[in-house]
Order: sequence, then structure tokens, then C-alpha cells
Amino acid sequence: MSAIDHDVSGKLPRGRHTHGDEPDMNAIDHKATGGILSPLKGLQFFGRKPVTQPLEPRPASANYRGFHLNDWQLCIGCSTCQKVCDNAAITMVEIPGLPEDAAKGVRNLRPAIDYGRCCWCALCVDLCPTGSISLSREYVHTCTDPEIDSYFVLPDANGIHGVAYDKGWAKSEQSDLVALQRTEMPEMAPEARIANFDEIVEGYDKNQGIIEASRCVQCGMCHDACPTHMNAPEYIRAIWQDDIEEAVRQIYRTNPFAHTCGRVCTHRCETACSVGHRGAPIAIRWLKRFAMDQLDHERVKEIAAEGKAAYPSGKRVAIIGAGPAGLTAAYDLAKQGHAVKVFEAMGAAGGMTRYGIPYYRLPADKLDQDVDVITSLGVEIQYDTRIGSDVTMERLRDDYDAVLVAVGLWMGRSTRVKGAEADGVYRAVELLRKVADGESIPVPKQAVIIGGGNVAMDIARTLARLQKQHYGQVAITLTALEDLDHFLADPDEIKEAREEGVEILDARGPQEVVLDSSGRATGLRTWKVLSIFDEQGRFAPKYDETDEIIHAGDMVVEAIGQAADVNLLGEALTEALEWNRGRLKVDEQLRTSADWLWAAGDMVRGPDVVSAVADGHRAAASINDHLSIREQAA
Amino acid sequence: MSPMKEGESASYQKIKSMTTLKDVLAVATSFEASARDFYTGLIPKVSKNFRWLVEDLAREEQGHYDLFTSLAQRDDIEGAIQAEIERPVTDGKFADAVMIPDLGDNPDDQSVLQYAMGREHLAMTHYRALADSTAAGPIKELFEYLANEEAKHKEELEKLYYETVHSGGV
Repeated sequence: MSAIDHDVSGKLPRGRHTHGDEPDMNAIDHKATGGILSPLKGLQFFGRKPVTQPLEPRPASANYRGFHLNDWQLCIGCSTCQKVCDNAAITMVEIPGLPEDAAKGVRNLRPAIDYGRCCWCALCVDLCPTGSISLSREYVHTCTDPEIDSYFVLPDANGIHGVAYDKGWAKSEQSDLVALQRTEMPEMAPEARIANFDEIVEGYDKNQGIIEASRCVQCGMCHDACPTHMNAPEYIRAIWQDDIEEAVRQIYRTNPFAHTCGRVCTHRCETACSVGHRGAPIAIRWLKRFAMDQLDHERVKEIAAEGKAAYPSGKRVAIIGAGPAGLTAAYDLAKQGHAVKVFEAMGAAGGMTRYGIPYYRLPADKLDQDVDVITSLGVEIQYDTRIGSDVTMERLRDDYDAVLVAVGLWMGRSTRVKGAEADGVYRAVELLRKVADGESIPVPKQAVIIGGGNVAMDIARTLARLQKQHYGQVAITLTALEDLDHFLADPDEIKEAREEGVEILDARGPQEVVLDSSGRATGLRTWKVLSIFDEQGRFAPKYDETDEIIHAGDMVVEAIGQAADVNLLGEALTEALEWNRGRLKVDEQLRTSADWLWAAGDMVRGPDVVSAVADGHRAAASINDHLSIREQAA
Repeated sequence: MSPMKEGESASYQKIKSMTTLKDVLAVATSFEASARDFYTGLIPKVSKNFRWLVEDLAREEQGHYDLFTSLAQRDDIEGAIQAEIERPVTDGKFADAVMIPDLGDNPDDQSVLQYAMGREHLAMTHYRALADSTAAGPIKELFEYLANEEAKHKEELEKLYYETVHSGGV
């Protein structure tokens, strides 16, 4: 293992006697301390130069646990090897120049091995999610370097000395400790769910939840990828330990929209999950849902209230919009002792999660529970109050110590193709809002949807359910500019929409809404999209004008982009504020150019529930700092 | 200003009949100046949250105006044009799929983008048509260069249009 310094005299140590060619081990006098001059014998070595004996390479047996090999192309720097090593023999070393992308689950770290600690148990091999680590058949390391760090090796695929010895112990199907199969989530079959708005997903039972949690290798890639950096490894570990209260406590450390995100989160954590490199990623979203559904709601409220300030700060904060960003900020600020009042234009809280996501994905009672936890902390919500008309921004500025605007993208965009303003043409967000609000909408016998995102899938599947209820059959055609590989919708949404009878036609560019003689929509004319991006990756679709289809439909629904209605700011404030390419300009702390106004959520970040939650935390922290500084200054 | 003005046949004939490089550039320069003036006039009419777009368009047209002005004054113009057309730009058809709207007094961002794309498309079509009908030589190369410039600008606008209208941008 190190510089091997030998006494080359050929003499055996005192007490060792030979028996033929082999030493007689029984003859060793273990209690012998040597003669009185023994310490002086050491002086014979004084001044001698150490001698290093070269050792020829000798490959060991096939499954030998030699020195570490690490394929840097496969390694993602997840640190699972480091975490599983009981001897703390592995240190993750940052390698400048290697790719680092939290969203993709890649760190620029590589394991270095301390061979003074390593016991060659090979757990690092067996538990490596990607299979990048193995042990070579090389079993001699002759150190020619006097420095101590020659025991500390950063292995790559070439072996400790750059000599190929082939792999010894490597990951095999028998030795692999990574569970690659996900615990399937039970859900309603298409024929059972198509005529109702019941939640499709049934949820894990206790056994399924614990089994799924046991797959987690605790690498923490999910934490890095999550916009709000949820403590997913911690709550998954708590689930595995059957400690649901602790799991909920860990969830509420970073996410008060726990039921909501347990159902409709975009789960970037799972994209980054290291287990997903060879198998199915851990069902992190479903585990959050599982934990939340296991615990009594009143106990959840008690856990959420832990750490709440004992005394009011005396400061008042106004928040515009009771969506995930606004209410997350309200949750934090209320826990910090501030008086928070939320102004909501609609009759219920939740924002686009309530009025844009159908109940079969997010039941209203679960969203109600999230809101109830937040209001139980003292957050007041004033419903049916539209800022800009019912209350002005200037009034909020004057009456409160800080104001946060966190409105969603309530305005649906239109393609503005010919006929787009005709009767029978609708915007998806408006239809979804009405359905969520209990209003009736016209139910088409045949509908054409324009769009390839989640909103398009939501309205297609909502209309499919209504058609099934009214006519007993589904007749929905969904067209999108993008090909299927570039759809913005979640793949599960696409799969489930198809299961429910929605016909999805990709790469179709809308050209015109076809009208009857009375000016009412009867269909949509599209051209085939040959390519959507140019050589530089820029959006520049090319059409095959000869490949034209008229999709029949008595309703055409546009489900493309969305925008925030910023008219609530009023002309004077709109002019006074700084803007950045259509969005309110905010700094890292989400403060606008006005020192009393913050902005967060979809209107500055784009539509995403968990990003809105992250924004809410960030805005609340900044507002709290602002109020504290003012307090100190006063 | 009518959005279709540059597409009128008189304008086409006027450009096509040019015989000297100086005259061709003069028409192109006035073409870009009219666009710049249109966008500049639009700036105070639009909301501040997307005024940047109109300001960008006005700056872009001013850039074209400056380019054409400087091109007319350069001795090595043929070489410069040759260098540009060695990097051809895809001629997308996206602008075909949208209408040229009547912008009105307070147009929104989508209206402005649609108008700008339509305008770029018209300009590109004109220059390309002129290039096709011109004999090989420096004038043809100039038209090809101008067509490529307009195509590049149009594609940038199409990308922005997609981000703004089709992919949930705010």
C-alpha cells in the first residue's frame, strides 16, 4: 500500500522460529519484550537509505475487490457512494470544468477514496445508482510518492496506475442494491374515470409507501433540483421509518402547498433523481401525497404552526392573489409574527391551482386543506375583491408596511388566426375557470383543441368528461404546432388523455377557424408542420401547405400561452415601475423598483406551482428583512 | 400608416427599376426609415410593460437604416455582401399564418409582433423577388443580402412570438 521499506538482511524478527521453510507461529513468544539492548538495535538502521522494491503488476481473481474504478462519463456526482460508506473513506471532490446542472441531476463532483479508511466492502459499487463505480483486479499499490495524499486517490476508468487490469467486483444483477422498479401507483381505469371528475390517482397504502421510500438512496439530487429545495430525502427517510409526523414536518419546512404539490407538482425532483438513470426515479411526488394523506388534518395544522412567533410584530403586509406564491408568502410572514391580509379577486383561494386544474387531478377538498393550514396561522383572506377597481394599489401602499403582488396568468392568448373571434371559439383558461366555479359551459358534440401544453390536456380531458356525461361518447381532437417530442405537457397527461379517447394530432399549424354561413365555428383548418426549429434552434416552422386538414368541431378551444393581467397596477404605477421584457422587473429578492412593492409567482416566473411556492418563500424573506430593518432604524 | 404599403406593386417596380447601387440603397433606406418612424410613433401609445418591444423594433430599423447608409458610402461593398450570403437563412413561413392586424390606438404586444412579422416578411419577399429577377452581379448580391437580413430579423420575431404567445410567456 505504501512505500515498502524492508530490512534486506534476511533476518527474521526476534521470537520467530522457522520450522522447515515456514515460521512456527506457535513458537512466537508474544510476551517477550526483548533484551535490554533491544532499543539500541534500531540504531543499525540509522543513516540507511530506504529501499523501494518494485512489484510487478499482477491481476487478481475475477471478482477481486481491488482498487476503485470510476467511469466519469457515467458518474453524475450524486454522492451516494460517499453517503453509504461507513468508514467515511469517500470524499466528493469538485472538479472544475465538469458539467453541473441541478435540474438534470448532474454535479461536478467525483469520489476520491482514502485507502487508509477503505475496507473494500464494495457497498459503494453495489449502491451506485448509475453503475459508474467498480473495483479493479489490481491488488498492489506501490507508492512512489512520499506525500500522505498518495493514499488519497481520485479514481477514473483507467485504474489507480493507469494500467488496465479489467474490472474485478462490479455491479451485477445479483449484487445491485438499487431497486430500479417503481411501486406502481394505483389509479382508476380509463373507462371508470371518463364520466366523472373523481381523482384518478388512488394513492399508496402504507406498505406501498414504505416500499417505495426504501428505494431512495438519499443522494439529495432531488433537493437540489426542486425550486423550493424541499427536504425530500428527509421526508422519504421518515416515511421509510414509518414516522409520518416527521415526514409532514419535513415537508412543511419548505412547502405549505403540500397536498397540492403531492398531486400536481411538475416533480423536477424526479427528473434529477439519480435512481432514474438506470431505472424508474423514486416517486417523490406520490410519497409526499402519501405522507400528507396519512396524517390527521388537525395534526398537520399543529405541525405547520411549530415555530410560529409568540408575539405579533405589529407590521402589516398586503398580498394580492391567494395562489401558491401569495399564500406561501402569507404562511411565512404569519409565522414571523406579521399581520397578513390577502386580497383575492375570486370567491375561493388557490389561484390557478383551483381555477385552472381539474378536480380529477387536484380535488378541491385537498386544496381547501392546504389553504386551511395557512389561514389557521392567522392569515386573513378577503375574497371577491379586485385590486385596481375595488381597492387601489395606492391605498394598499398607504395602509400597509409592504405589498406583494402575486397574481396568476389568467388571460388566455389567442392564435388570432382568421375566425378566432367567432362564436364557438373559446379560451381554455376561461372554460376551466367556469367549470371549477360550478358554472355551466356549452358542451360540444365535437371539439377541436389548439395547444400541446398541460392546459390543453386539462381542457381536452374536462370536455371529454362532460361529453361522456351528456352524449355518452368522447369526440375531441387536439392539435399542436409541436411534434410529440416537444409537447410542453407532462407525458402522463398525454398518455391519460389518449386513454380517455382524446385524439392527439401533433405538428399541425392552425390556419383558420372554419365558419358556417351564420359565422359560427364548424372546424379548424391546419397545415402539417414540417419542422419547427431552424438550424440554429430558433422557432421558425415550415409548413406543407398541401397537407391540409379541416378538423370538424362545433367548438374550437385555444389553449396556447397565458398572460397576467397587470391592469390592476393602474397606469401611473405601471409607468413608474421598471419592466423587463414584459414582466415586472424584480431583483433576486423579488423586490420591484418601488421600495414598498414585491412581485412573485407566475407573473414574474411563468406558470409552475412549485416555483410559485419558492417565490413566495423568497418574497416573504425579503419582506421580513425589510420590515426588520425598518424596525431597527426606527 | 398602412401595413401593406411596402407590398404595393409600385414600390416593387420602383425598386426593380433601379439601375445604380446608390439608388437601390436609397429606396431601401427610405423603406427602413419608414418602419423606424412607425415604431417610434407607436412607443407612447403602448403600455410600458411591453414598450421595450416597440423600442427594440425602432432600434432595429434604425440599425438597418444606419447599415444601408453606411453601405452606400463603402468602397468594398461587394466583398461585404459576398461574405453575408455565404450564411443562408431559412425562409420560414410562419408569418404567412398570421394576419396583419389593424393596430388601432392602443395595440397589445401580440398585435405589434404580428405586424412586425408581417412587415419583415413583406420586405424579405420583395428583396428576394428582386434578387431572382436581377442578373448575376453586385446588385443581385445586394438584394440577396437584404433578403437574408430581413429573414433573420423575421425569425427573431417569430421566436419571440412563440415565447410570448404559444409557450405561456407573460
